Amino acid sequence: MLMPRKPPKGFRKPHHPDRHGAAKGGTRVAFGEFGIQALEPAYVTNRQIEAARIAMNRHIRRGGKVWITIFPDQAITKKPAETRMGSGKGSPEWWVANIKPGRILFEMSFPNEAIAREALRRAIHKLPMKCRIVTREGAEG
Amino acid sequence: MSEVRISAEPRTEFGKGGARRTRRAGKVPAVLYGHGEKPKHIALPARDLAAAIRHGGMTQVFDIAFADGSSTLALPKAIQRDPVKDTFEHVDLLIVRRGERVTVDVPVVLVGEAARDTLVMHEHETLSVIADATRLPDHLDASIEGLGAGSHVTAGDVKLPDGVELAAEPEMVLVVVTAAPTAEQLAAEGGEAPSVEAEQVAETEGQASAEAA
Repeated sequence: MLMPRKPPKGFRKPHHPDRHGAAKGGTRVAFGEFGIQALEPAYVTNRQIEAARIAMNRHIRRGGKVWITIFPDQAITKKPAETRMGSGKGSPEWWVANIKPGRILFEMSFPNEAIAREALRRAIHKLPMKCRIVTREGAEG
Repeated sequence: MSEVRISAEPRTEFGKGGARRTRRAGKVPAVLYGHGEKPKHIALPARDLAAAIRHGGMTQVFDIAFADGSSTLALPKAIQRDPVKDTFEHVDLLIVRRGERVTVDVPVVLVGEAARDTLVMHEHETLSVIADATRLPDHLDASIEGLGAGSHVTAGDVKLPDGVELAAEPEMVLVVVTAAPTAEQLAAEGGEAPSVEAEQVAETEGQASAEAA
């Protein structure tokens, strides 16, 4: 699963990343022919990214290529259950990518468009927000 | 490609408030500059602009008509879009003269089908060419017919129409044809270095238990 090798000093237990605004970059399909674009802000965990990738690859089986254009570089911490308040911030529990609306999450290159769209649709079901499938030329509903 | 005549209104209010009011009125804020002229802030009808750009792309030449009866030719230089709504937020237009040769990025369209069990990777979507401003090609065709794994198409391989010169390096690779990955390769792609990952998980857990204690 994707996660940073070692978080930079001072970023091991960050505050929650902000969830306002739209994506500034990575809003166009750059590598493949089709892509998944986020329509809502969300924290996407490395488990969700992995589940979506597996769902896509299982459907296309072979003959295509998948790009993951996000990386879960933000740690989300959690205090253990039944712990009293205080005694410091909890330990890192999940790694998430902070996704803003408009961000391309995955890209795919596959010769058959119908199969590629179905694979991306299955991947969208593994993600925690509303998404749509876009093509290289422009966004399509 | 033919010119599209579009009427422009001068813009008097600026900043995000003014720009938003312009957009709400069904117009797109734009700026027109080039040839040493003072930049003109204008508003273009959103619907007409979107239809023209959708049809002609970044090589669409506009004949901008002003209220005083004057007009000027312009090419889109930069377009800002809303990533979710896919609407135009702002357009930069560059003034061009009839007969002037300009450098533009023209989309490359792949023609034909590569050999079986191959994957076609588009390395560059556009190709930089020099052409007459009023006779810009809307796209360039690159043939991939029958190409096998390991072959590629360079900028020099693209057939250019008459009067169009290549501005990019002829060796620039546009398309790479590779062998399609097998099911095993696809499955192995995400599972890189599981041992390192396991180490990190163990390390994180170790730290967590130490902190809890």
